Amino acid sequence: MNTGRANPAIHSRYPKPQNEWGWQVVVYLYLAGIGSGSFAIGILMEWLGYSPYSLRPMILWGPILVAIGALFLVLKLGIKRRFLNTILNPKTSWLSRGFYILSLCIIVGVVVLGISILPHLGISVSNWSSLLLILDIIGFVLALATAIYTGILIQSVKYVAFWNTSLLPALFTVSALSTGAMAVILSTLGYSILTPSEGYPYQLMNALTLTEQILIIIEAIVLALYLFSRYKAEEYGKDSVRLLLSGNLRFVFWIGIIALGFFFPVILEGIYSRFHEQHFLLFLAGSLLLIGGFFLRSGVVYAGIKEQHPLERLILYQYNLRETRE
Amino acid sequence: MQEKVLVIDYEKCTGCRACELACSVFHTGASNPSRSRIRVIKWEEIGLYIPLTCQNCEKPFCVEVCPTKACHIDPKRHMVLIDKNLCIGCKTCILACPFGAPVYDKVEHITVKCDYCDGDPQCVRFCEVGAIKYLDVAEMSGLKQYASAEKYTKALRKLPGA
Repeated sequence: MNTGRANPAIHSRYPKPQNEWGWQVVVYLYLAGIGSGSFAIGILMEWLGYSPYSLRPMILWGPILVAIGALFLVLKLGIKRRFLNTILNPKTSWLSRGFYILSLCIIVGVVVLGISILPHLGISVSNWSSLLLILDIIGFVLALATAIYTGILIQSVKYVAFWNTSLLPALFTVSALSTGAMAVILSTLGYSILTPSEGYPYQLMNALTLTEQILIIIEAIVLALYLFSRYKAEEYGKDSVRLLLSGNLRFVFWIGIIALGFFFPVILEGIYSRFHEQHFLLFLAGSLLLIGGFFLRSGVVYAGIKEQHPLERLILYQYNLRETRE
Repeated sequence: MQEKVLVIDYEKCTGCRACELACSVFHTGASNPSRSRIRVIKWEEIGLYIPLTCQNCEKPFCVEVCPTKACHIDPKRHMVLIDKNLCIGCKTCILACPFGAPVYDKVEHITVKCDYCDGDPQCVRFCEVGAIKYLDVAEMSGLKQYASAEKYTKALRKLPGA
């Protein structure tokens, strides 16, 4: 990052991070990630038999967050009322395919959530078990697709070297699942504290906490691999990693992503495993983890540096500016 | 294959940005270079100015990523064009283009790009030094061949014993 000061000619052309996609995309990635992750984890927990049926609405609220996130994606558009035009090119455009994935996920998810509320209103759904199973399977697949799609949307822009890797969808998917698991933990815990008569769902909470801890370890590994591969891959990828690790975005990375997203939640959960009555510890760990998830998305989006134009390289060679760049 | 193309000789450009003004006046009626379809990229320290606009790629990536098919290849003119009535202003094409050619119009809230002013490029008319030219494809490739042959000759002459 300091080469710019040594050579002003290079400094003037130093690649700047993209500013086409801003906070709306970050909020969308975040909400869609949590929403789809929590929905997938919720359905999985029920299939594994950890969750009593009465808790279903508490673990399946994800699609609502996905819908709110999708609204932010519409907010990003220049002419918002034309957002339905995005259905026109599913053949090649991922933005267009995403419209279908997102709307299907929201519709199926809201239907599943709606059916899960029916028993609380006194309507029996015991005859619909096969229909519910099919809806659950479709919902699970769509939720996973939504989680993966958040990464693919960013990856599909090939000319930003920092994003152009299949590790990015992997990172976003794992992050979506870990933040989703934490969101489910928080909502279940909050519900069980507010309604003490129903008892504390120990089995569900233990399974969720274990899943979340495994996921956070995988997430850390994938993040390290992702940054390493980007640093090695291309010049602008290297610039992006530098920007994130030691440049203007270093606070976002070290405080937002590493400290809030990984370090403190792991420590707090470790302490919580000793003192099971201190629920505020888990709330604190969960909130920090969720904030960390937000910083992860914003770090990745704002650190994307686009190759300005191919002539830039030609000119660097032509005027012998190449060597001094490193 | 296009019949005529914009050819830019960046070594002639003085960075006066008249092309930007002419472009924005022609397309928007406003004398506002930020709405221009052509952009002069300046390297002040080495005194180099590069007017850049759409290269009309054979396999345009902006067309591939456009979710609304607003960005399309015009079959008659063999150009990449953006349909004003379909564009939603998602800026994906701007990120996707390696040349940064489509630009976001903050007034109209859509992405716009060079369309050669329907056959009479204003930037060519207003470029005093002739850095931008509107040439036949055959002529352009001839010029290119000439330039590379000249370069090759120069290099050969430098060889010992030449």
